[in-house]
Amino acid sequence: MSVIQVQNLNKSYNNLQALTEISFELHKGEIFGIIGPDGAGKSTLFNILATLLAPDSGDVSILGMDLNRDYKKIRKEIGYLPGTFSLYPDLTVLENLKFFAAMYQSGIRENLTMIMPIWRQLIPFKNRLVGKLSGGMKQKLALCCALIHKPHILLLDEPTTGVDPVSRREFWDLLAQIKSYGISVLVSTPYMDEVTRCDRIALLEKGRFIVIDTPPQIIKDYKGKLYALKTTQLFYLLELLDQYEENCSFYPYGEYLHISFYQDVEQAVIRFRDFLNQNQINYNSFQEITPILEDCFIELIKKNRDVHH
Amino acid sequence: MYTIEVHNLTKRFGSFTAVNNISFQVKRGEIFGFLGANGAGKTTAMKMMCGLLLPTSGTARIAGYDLKTESKQIKKEIGYMSQRFSLYDDLTIKENMTLFGTIYKVPKQELNERIEGHLTELNLMKHKDQLVSSIPLGWKQKLAFSTALLHHPKIVFLDEPTSGVDPIVRREFWSLIYKAAAQGVTIFITTHYMDEASYCERISIMAEGDLKLIGTPTELKIQMGVNTIDELFTHFVNR
Amino acid sequence: MNQLLAIIRKELIHIYRDKISLFLMLSMPIVLIILFGFTISTEIPNAKISIYDQSEDVQSKRLIQSLTASGYFQVVNYPKSEKEIAEDFSQLQIKAAIIIPPQFEKKLISEKEVELQVINDMSDINVASVIKQYIETVILNFENDINLTEFGKIGQLKVSIQMKYNPELNSVYMFVPGIITLIMIIITALMSSITLARESETNTMKMMLITPVKKIHIVLGKVIPYMALSFLSTLIILAISVWIFDMPIKGNIFVLLILCIVFMFTSASFGLLISAISKTQLDAMMITMMGLFLPTVLLSGFLFPLDNMPYGFQLLANIFPAKWFILALKDIMIKGATFIDIWFYVAVLLFISTLLTIFSVTQIDRRRAS
Repeated sequence: MSVIQVQNLNKSYNNLQALTEISFELHKGEIFGIIGPDGAGKSTLFNILATLLAPDSGDVSILGMDLNRDYKKIRKEIGYLPGTFSLYPDLTVLENLKFFAAMYQSGIRENLTMIMPIWRQLIPFKNRLVGKLSGGMKQKLALCCALIHKPHILLLDEPTTGVDPVSRREFWDLLAQIKSYGISVLVSTPYMDEVTRCDRIALLEKGRFIVIDTPPQIIKDYKGKLYALKTTQLFYLLELLDQYEENCSFYPYGEYLHISFYQDVEQAVIRFRDFLNQNQINYNSFQEITPILEDCFIELIKKNRDVHH
Repeated sequence: MYTIEVHNLTKRFGSFTAVNNISFQVKRGEIFGFLGANGAGKTTAMKMMCGLLLPTSGTARIAGYDLKTESKQIKKEIGYMSQRFSLYDDLTIKENMTLFGTIYKVPKQELNERIEGHLTELNLMKHKDQLVSSIPLGWKQKLAFSTALLHHPKIVFLDEPTSGVDPIVRREFWSLIYKAAAQGVTIFITTHYMDEASYCERISIMAEGDLKLIGTPTELKIQMGVNTIDELFTHFVNR
Repeated sequence: MNQLLAIIRKELIHIYRDKISLFLMLSMPIVLIILFGFTISTEIPNAKISIYDQSEDVQSKRLIQSLTASGYFQVVNYPKSEKEIAEDFSQLQIKAAIIIPPQFEKKLISEKEVELQVINDMSDINVASVIKQYIETVILNFENDINLTEFGKIGQLKVSIQMKYNPELNSVYMFVPGIITLIMIIITALMSSITLARESETNTMKMMLITPVKKIHIVLGKVIPYMALSFLSTLIILAISVWIFDMPIKGNIFVLLILCIVFMFTSASFGLLISAISKTQLDAMMITMMGLFLPTVLLSGFLFPLDNMPYGFQLLANIFPAKWFILALKDIMIKGATFIDIWFYVAVLLFISTLLTIFSVTQIDRRRAS
């Protein structure tokens, strides 16, 4: 069963196509991740789904209700965190929560069980001004405020941008918990490492979804053979490779160089080793590895850009 | 030769110690990663090093100048770029670069040559009269970095420069960083991407105002008995 | 309703926590009124005047005597024609000329009312205002004198002053309504629209819009606390002008307060309009300054008399509510006007408010791209 159905959605601003032919479904109780760089159209999509922006064309139905006709009813059923921090810094933690509860005309007490796992961590700071909280704490409070009316769907637009890796992990643990209450979550992020925790992912590039699938399937569909090379001369090697004319793609990944070969892999690998030796590159290891999601996304984005140029 | 020397630097706000007695050195042309959780004191430490905030105690020499008495000279020798603010949206690429170059008193003729050099390198020469608001974020960040280099600073401070940028542009950005470092510019960078930490020659991890750890990524992983920088980070930041 | 109250409560917290703005909003009326009050009522000892006595009877001579004896004036000439008065202004540099009409005594006794003409040097409005006050004081004494002595049994006599060049002088009557107008506009229209735009800029607006709360409630919740605050400021202004500057309020104080409340709604409707059309704090600021603040200062008759303006500007002044508010306020304070006397002004204000509110609400309720 799907709680959000989007078909052929288009949106443009001042002659700029922000979203092109977007179609997808959000299933009940799943975490659906949208990954894409800033400017890919994530926020536009979220604003449309949050009923704040009308699409140019396309059908959107949320919980069986039509976006254009029933947007007032839809608002009662969704919780939304906009991209940038959006609570009142000069109000305390408790004042913010009470305020948003009043906006939804729902009491805090009856909904406390829902937000308790998060709220518990905030209780010691409940009389502190929100402007003085750390980034991670602010996000937790924002999540509480978005959940206070027991929404069926949670829309989170880049909830973890600029948040450190540990706080980010905690945030995703909370999302898993929220999911266990049967709430469906649509979440966007620019961090590749986070999307492994989604049930399904869509990759958004220049306003188009270039892939929608489960993480294992995306990895399975990786086209080339991926090799990792460990060398201390990484960026020197990258400069050399500017002149390397072979059908392969390469990019640094942490302390490794990732190289993807597409045809005649065995021969290509031998030629590559020769190239390394000719240029006297020292390397510790050079072997085939299983791609992770980031490798897949890099491949998909590169392919998409080649098509569109 | 060190371009950054920090000795027992401390900053207190009332009873709260934001930065607690940190000491380290960074060499000329080194890429130094400055990691830590939100609120660990990174921003405060960076502000002090840029001469924007006076330390409560301790000393530092930045580009050879004393932090407390020569902050004016320090400002001439450093470049700064952050994710939050980099370039003015309502100016063109060329206008932005000219503005910042002029602020740093680069002679006009020289400035035009440098701007052309950077734009050619980035392949953006034909876009130089486009408004910054109309260009993709990836270009913008690369341009902002080039702009921070216009006055040939000795040190560039980069505060989460690649936040929100796609994985390909992120790597292109790092190539620029390496080129600048190879020319002798010291790079002082904060990031929340752990794979980027591996690109640094040395990294440090701050937590609760303390500098917990400093060294090369490989060294530190062996020392702490972990496989990835991510684990290393989690180990120190876990509360 | 609960939602509206919650928004108002939240807004009050914002106002309370922002100590600098709160201090400015409350001290601004005090500073303005003291500034205007003391700079305008400067003393002018021995102001040079001319008196053209057209009747030359007993009472007119007594009046001249009162004027010269008052110590306020130095009568430098007694011209015999209006042409001569004009020469006095240019050659003797008199500040004012008083013309006593023919048959002064006769009119005083038979008609119990007589009009004096005072011609002012227009180059300095403030001086003219002070001189007008001096003449009023002298004439009041003169009236009392003759009432008590000769004509006591006949009843009240009245000498009215006709200001020739500049009938609407700046005085305490003028600047108090002006200040009330400015404060209402700054607090109710400007502050509410700026803080509303701030919410759009910081994205908290999105969080509110996504809730089921009506957009008009969001805006009302913004405006109401500032309306209350501006009313408080109005009370402060009135209190200071009455106690420190002895501003007389001849009319009923409740009529005056009701008028202020009506104008508060008018300002609030401007606040709604500005909120509806501006997207950033800067927009709100510029629109208020250029579209509301400047026209109010220049075209309301507050600082610059309307009668001396080109006809086009006089017409233009009619669409700015400040003019009507100031007229009504002055009528209450000076003439003791009742509600019936000022109903037209109130109707104009209510009409403008209703028009703006309807327009703004339809603008606000449209779903706007954010």
